[in-house]
Amino acid sequence: MNTKTSKNKIFWVLTTLFIASSWLLTVSFVSIWVAISSGLSTAIAMVLILDYVRKHDDFDEYQDVSLDEKTSPIDAIDEQLRSAIEPAKGEIDQLPKIDDMLTTMAGASERRRIDGLVRKWAELAKQFNAVKHHLDGQINEVIKQSEDATDTIASSFKTVINKATLQASQAMNLLEGTQGATSDGSPQSLQDFIRVSDERLNKMADEVMRVADLSVKMVRDLDDVKDRTQAIDGFLLDVGKLADQTSLLALNADIEASRAGDAGRGFGIVAQEVRRLSKRSNVFSHEIRNHLRMVKNGLNATYSNMQTLTSKDMAHANNIKNEIRTLTKTLEDKNREVADTVSDINTISKEIAQDVQNVVISLQFHDIISQKLNSITTPMDNLASAIDLLTNETNSLGLASNWDSELAAQDQQTKSATNGKPLPRSSNNTTGKENALPNSGPNVELF
Amino acid sequence: MATILIVDDTASMRQMIGFTLNDASYEVTEAADGNEALEAARKSKFDAVITDINMPNMDGISLVRELRSLADYKFTPILMLTTESQDSKRKECKEAGATGWIVKPFNPEQLLNVIKNVLN
Repeated sequence: MNTKTSKNKIFWVLTTLFIASSWLLTVSFVSIWVAISSGLSTAIAMVLILDYVRKHDDFDEYQDVSLDEKTSPIDAIDEQLRSAIEPAKGEIDQLPKIDDMLTTMAGASERRRIDGLVRKWAELAKQFNAVKHHLDGQINEVIKQSEDATDTIASSFKTVINKATLQASQAMNLLEGTQGATSDGSPQSLQDFIRVSDERLNKMADEVMRVADLSVKMVRDLDDVKDRTQAIDGFLLDVGKLADQTSLLALNADIEASRAGDAGRGFGIVAQEVRRLSKRSNVFSHEIRNHLRMVKNGLNATYSNMQTLTSKDMAHANNIKNEIRTLTKTLEDKNREVADTVSDINTISKEIAQDVQNVVISLQFHDIISQKLNSITTPMDNLASAIDLLTNETNSLGLASNWDSELAAQDQQTKSATNGKPLPRSSNNTTGKENALPNSGPNVELF
Repeated sequence: MATILIVDDTASMRQMIGFTLNDASYEVTEAADGNEALEAARKSKFDAVITDINMPNMDGISLVRELRSLADYKFTPILMLTTESQDSKRKECKEAGATGWIVKPFNPEQLLNVIKNVLN
């Protein structure tokens, strides 16, 4: 700077000397040239001074310093010349200095505006980075929380379904057991039990009916026996009559024998013997009739008992049959209910299977949500890097150096925050296009 | 029963696929990214692989390429299960050697049908 300044001083001194000498020469020797030379010289001097002042607006400062510090002969001459032309220079310098001041002022104002804009721009970048950082945090939080929740739901769902499946299969086994097939005749299922008990009970009822039928036949047989005893009684009456008549005949024969005297004594003995026999026969006949009466009474009692028994048997057998029929019907109804329940369980199982499918589809929402959220962060990352690029470019203009470091620090902070977080998909989803693009292919495709 | 390798970085997705396949009596092994999957695939031979595309460390398409370079997995069915829907990705998967493409969310019945198809 010092070298440059001293060079400029020399230049200025020489120029002043030249102007002064030419001025003096022109005035002293050629009067005609006065106007032309002075005008030309003044013009040259003005141009040079203007040029100098424009280049060195801090001229005065340096001038003062140099005057204090430097004591070279050139400087002394310089000062003398300077004071000689000072009145003229003052006037000449006024115009370019004002022009320069105005230009400088305009430039400064422009620069302040740009500085202000750049500061605002840096502030905006800072705000954006803060918002982005916040959103990234929130999005990651949402992804993490929904992932945790989905994991819990999924594992609980898995447990519930496994238990429901076990329960259904156990119920089915239980119910299928009541519907199962027979093996060795012993009842294995409710259906079998119904069938076997129905068979056995019907067999028993048939037996009772057969006994009742037999009883009826026996009653009929007893009727026959009663008729025959009645006939025997009639015969015995006849036998009694015959005995009475025989006794009367023997009495007559005895009378006739006693009338015949001794000749009829023998005959009288025979007649008495016949009377005795007829009396005995009469006694027998009576006794037989008495026994026969007792037999008849016994038969009558048996007959009435048999009749009671038969009618009761029949009624009982019928009752049993009816009861068996009702019981069987009840059991069959129960069995049908069981079958219906089995069918219901089957239907419910199918419905559960359908619901399971729906849940499996729905529980994939987390994956889709996290992808969509990540696709929000991707354009944000892109925007952040665009802003980074722009701020870097602005920095390179060197307009405002004081916020360079500030921005760099922010950038570093944002980058480290993004790298430190688990954003597994953002690196792969280079664009958020997947959501914007229509699903152009089929859901399932085998290549 | 057939063994299937499931690769997805989302735990709930792995659970849902695992649940669906277990229910149909398939044996399932899970992996959270391409690297884990590759390691598992080297340890034992799977009959089929179902993989996501967007995963950290190693993505699905790179996994398909790596698997196809292994002698054991030259012809093993590899299904892509993804939310991606661009045709360019589809093409990329196809070129990498994937067997098929299923869009998330998958329908369990559909998934089982596809598995049955590719295993036959």
